[in-house]
Amino acid sequence: MAILLASSTPPVPSTFSGGAEAIALVVLLTEFAMFRAPLSRSQIRLYGFQSLAVSALAILVAATQHVPELYALAGLSFILKVLLVPGIMLRLLKDAQIDLAASNRLGVASMVLLAIAASVFGFFVVGRLPVHAHVLPAPALGLAAAEILVAFLLVILRADVVSQAVGFFSLENGVSVASLVVASGLPLILEVAFLFDLLVAVVVFGVLIRVHHGRTRTLSTDTLDRLRG
Amino acid sequence: MVAVDLAPASIQALQVLTIVVFAPLVSGVIAHLEARLQGRRGPRILQPYYDLGKLFRKETLVPTDASWVFVVGPILAFTCYLIVPLLIPVLTAYPLPLGYMGDILGGGFILGLASFSVAVAAAESGAPYAQLGSSRAMTFGALIEPSILFVTFTVALITTTDLPYFEAASARASLSQVVRPAHLLAVLAFFLVVLNDTSRIPVETHSGTLEFGMIDEARTLEHSGPLFALLKWGSAMKQLILYVLLVNVFAAPWGLAGTTALGAVLLAIALLLAKAFAVGAIFTVIDNSFSKLRLFKITEFMAAAFLLAILAVLVLYLGGG
Repeated sequence: MAILLASSTPPVPSTFSGGAEAIALVVLLTEFAMFRAPLSRSQIRLYGFQSLAVSALAILVAATQHVPELYALAGLSFILKVLLVPGIMLRLLKDAQIDLAASNRLGVASMVLLAIAASVFGFFVVGRLPVHAHVLPAPALGLAAAEILVAFLLVILRADVVSQAVGFFSLENGVSVASLVVASGLPLILEVAFLFDLLVAVVVFGVLIRVHHGRTRTLSTDTLDRLRG
Repeated sequence: MVAVDLAPASIQALQVLTIVVFAPLVSGVIAHLEARLQGRRGPRILQPYYDLGKLFRKETLVPTDASWVFVVGPILAFTCYLIVPLLIPVLTAYPLPLGYMGDILGGGFILGLASFSVAVAAAESGAPYAQLGSSRAMTFGALIEPSILFVTFTVALITTTDLPYFEAASARASLSQVVRPAHLLAVLAFFLVVLNDTSRIPVETHSGTLEFGMIDEARTLEHSGPLFALLKWGSAMKQLILYVLLVNVFAAPWGLAGTTALGAVLLAIALLLAKAFAVGAIFTVIDNSFSKLRLFKITEFMAAAFLLAILAVLVLYLGGG
């Protein structure tokens, strides 16, 4: 039976690419968990966890593929995305004193099914692209694309400011995974520029959350159309 | 000491016997463990056997309007649970003579027939709660079906067959087969399926008496005496069969007998029980640390299982995994 198995089954990924794919999968599954999380607080914690997974992926690539710049990137993104951004967001949320923003536009099960459809689309579109990753396994790119599409859906389907901010930030996580796959040797300055972008977004979203909460006493964006005149 | 070799047919019979004899024991250990975790003393480990003995000595009551289906349902279900252990790797790593009689889908059909016959027997009683239980069990059974199918597809993509023996052999073959993402996702998805099919929290309370939250438990409310004993025994066997599928096909297919020697087979029985207790302990911890989902939120649980299963197929399909 062992001989039969060896001859007829598809190749098994090596431990490195298996591990890298598993981490990319964790990033995608965290995005799905954000749909399920009813509390804004737990969404932000999930974002911190997702960023941790992205940093771990960067360290894995740095260690196994000898790209020392990625250590710096992993360190920077750990400080920024695991500690600083979730910290600021949690602080803002604490000031707003709102835990639960009931904001689902659809039932959780339907949202998850829709997100599955979106990620399948992402998978297959990227699978058709003639992109050959030389460092990370190709499915990781598909996973990153799926993660970006699911983050879009999170922004669309949950009508509260925190979900939209977290969705936008996790979009950046998806882009980070994708950039690790296709261009892990990207100059450090470009990666840092991405992170700076994120920092600007945090400031913008922070101001947005404050102003919105100050005017409407809620985090839901359903009331935005009442701000006219 | 002379090594005693068993005939493959007798090992096959022993597989069925192991499930039949030890299923109540596994249930008893789980119930005991659950009580200890809740700070109660709990029933004796052998309590399920005493319960079955008591029920078999009692009379059978059949509702006035019920037909023969009410009586045949539990017997048919029990027979189905006797057949499934012939098809799956309970004790041996190598396939036994009747092992190729049915693949994963075949085993799934037989388990489906069993739950169908219990549901029909419950509906035949005409009692509202039993009918509610059977209708719910069928509905949620249909909702979890896509996850089971996609787990089967994962097995098919990994081994190019859908035989449980080959899936177990591929996991034993090398460590990279075990840690590959598709395998991990399939194990997790199947874990959720087992959680659903053995009616544990978060889908259903195991020991509640409130009929409104019941799914599987409500189906047996109208049966009594030996028929009820068959239903209880059958559900314990179904639980052990699903545990066997989880550990011996997916999660930990090690410790199975590699030869026909009597000692190896006996060791396999002991290891199987140890693994079943370990799985039961995990389920007990989940039982005690989560709350039951509201009935209309169970679809979220099903969606999570489906997500894991479909991702397993996708990463394989894209040439990785």
